[in-house]
Amino acid sequence: MSTSRDDFGIAIRSALLQRGAKQKFSLFVLILVSVIIFSLDNLNLKPVKILRSIINDSIYRVSAVSSSPIKFGSASKDFFINHLSVYKENERLKLEILNLKKEQLNTSYLETENKKLQEIVQLDKKSPFITVGAKIMLDKNSPYLNSAIINKGSNSNIKLGMPVLSKGNLIGRIVEVNFISSRILLLNDLNSRIPVVISPNGDQAILTGAGRKRPILEYLPENFQFEQSNVYTSGKDGVLLSGISIGEVIDNQEKQRIEVRLFTDPDQIFLVNVVLGKSTDAEAM
Amino acid sequence: MAINVKAIKETFLRFLPLVLLIYICISEFHTQFFYWKIFSFNFQFIIIYYWILRDPSILGYGFVFLCGITNDVVLSLPLGTSALSYLFISLVAAYVRNATVRSTLFTDWFTFIIAIIIGNFITYSLLSKFSEIQMQYILMFYNSLFTFILYPLFWALFEIYRRLINLRTYD
Repeated sequence: MSTSRDDFGIAIRSALLQRGAKQKFSLFVLILVSVIIFSLDNLNLKPVKILRSIINDSIYRVSAVSSSPIKFGSASKDFFINHLSVYKENERLKLEILNLKKEQLNTSYLETENKKLQEIVQLDKKSPFITVGAKIMLDKNSPYLNSAIINKGSNSNIKLGMPVLSKGNLIGRIVEVNFISSRILLLNDLNSRIPVVISPNGDQAILTGAGRKRPILEYLPENFQFEQSNVYTSGKDGVLLSGISIGEVIDNQEKQRIEVRLFTDPDQIFLVNVVLGKSTDAEAM
Repeated sequence: MAINVKAIKETFLRFLPLVLLIYICISEFHTQFFYWKIFSFNFQFIIIYYWILRDPSILGYGFVFLCGITNDVVLSLPLGTSALSYLFISLVAAYVRNATVRSTLFTDWFTFIIAIIIGNFITYSLLSKFSEIQMQYILMFYNSLFTFILYPLFWALFEIYRRLINLRTYD
C-alpha cells in the first residue's frame, strides 16, 4: 500500500519538477506563474489593466491576420452554397449567365463589403444617434462567451456599456475596451441582460441571452399578449439609450417560452455602429 | 552558403503539432463552437495530451503556457485560466508517461478522461469562483464527451504522423 503511494508521489514529483529533454521550464514553475498572472488579473490593478489592454490589442491583430484564411474559406463556402441554390432555381438561366458569374466570383467579396459599407454610411446619415462605424475583426465563440471583437477602441471614444447596432438594430453592448479594439457581448450570450419595452402595449421585460440564437423574455406581466409585438430598448438601466429596435416576439410553444427573433442575425454581422450618444435634432436631420 | 532545405523541412514537420496548437489558440478556428447544435470538441486538449504523453520534445511546457494565455485573451477569459487548465492536462500526461512502461490506445484513452475532468474542473472552478461569466454546464459536458470520443481518431492520425517524422529523422 505504502509502496504504491510512494510510486505515485515519485511519478507526480517527477512530472512536476523534471524539465526533461528540450524543456526550458518545469510544470511547477509554469503553474505557479499562471496562478500569479490569474491573481494579478483578478485584482484589477490599473497597471495590470493597461498591460492586459496592450496584450489584447496585439493578440487581436495577430489573431485577425491568422484568421483570414478561415474567413476566406467561410466566405467561399457561403458563396458556394448560395450559388448551388441559385443553380437549382435557375438551371435554364445558368448557362446564359455562366461567364458573368465567373467575373462575379472575383468581385463578389468586394461588392459585398462595399454594399455593407454603404449601408453603414446611410445609417450614419439617418440615425438619431452619434455612432462610430467599426468592422468585426474576430468572432471566436466558446461555451463561455458569445462575443465579437471590433477594430475600434478608446481611440474612437468607445466606452464600456455602449450599445452596438447593426443595420440600425441592437446586437449587443461593449464589455471590454482596449486602445484600438473592443469586445461586444452579443444579445444571445448567456451573460446578456437588457431591459426592454414591448410595443404596442408598452410592457416591460428583461431580454436574457440563452446561449442560443434567440434570446428570451423574462419578467413579463401576467396575461401578456405578444401578437405582432416588437421589442425595443427601454433605457431603464441608465446605460443603454431607449428606443433602439431589437427584434420581434415569437412564442416557442415547444419549449414553452417567449423568444425574440432578432432583426439582425448575430451570426451574420460584419460591420457595426457603436452608439456614442444621442445626436441633436440638427445633426439627425 | 547552401541552405539545408531537408533540415528546414524536418524541423517544420517536427514542430507542426506546435504550430497547429498555436494557430488553433490564436485564430478563429471554432473547435469549441457548435457546428451541429451540440457537437463541439476541445482540440487543444487532444493535441496537448497526446504530444506531451508521446513526445514532449515537440511540445514544450512553455509553449503550452503561452497558448493558454493567448486562448484566454482571444476568448476574453481571466488571464491564466486556460493556461492552468492546459498545464494540468500536461501534468496528467507527464504523470502517465512516468508511471507507465508501455502505453496503448486504451491506456491513453482511459487516462485522458482524468485529464479532461481535471482540465474542465479547473476552468469551471476559476470561472465560477473568480469571474461573473456564466456557463452552460450541459454544453461543457457535451464538449468534454465529444473530446473524449474523438480522441482515438486523432490518436491514430497523430500516431501515423509521429512514425512518419521519426522515420524521416532517423532516415
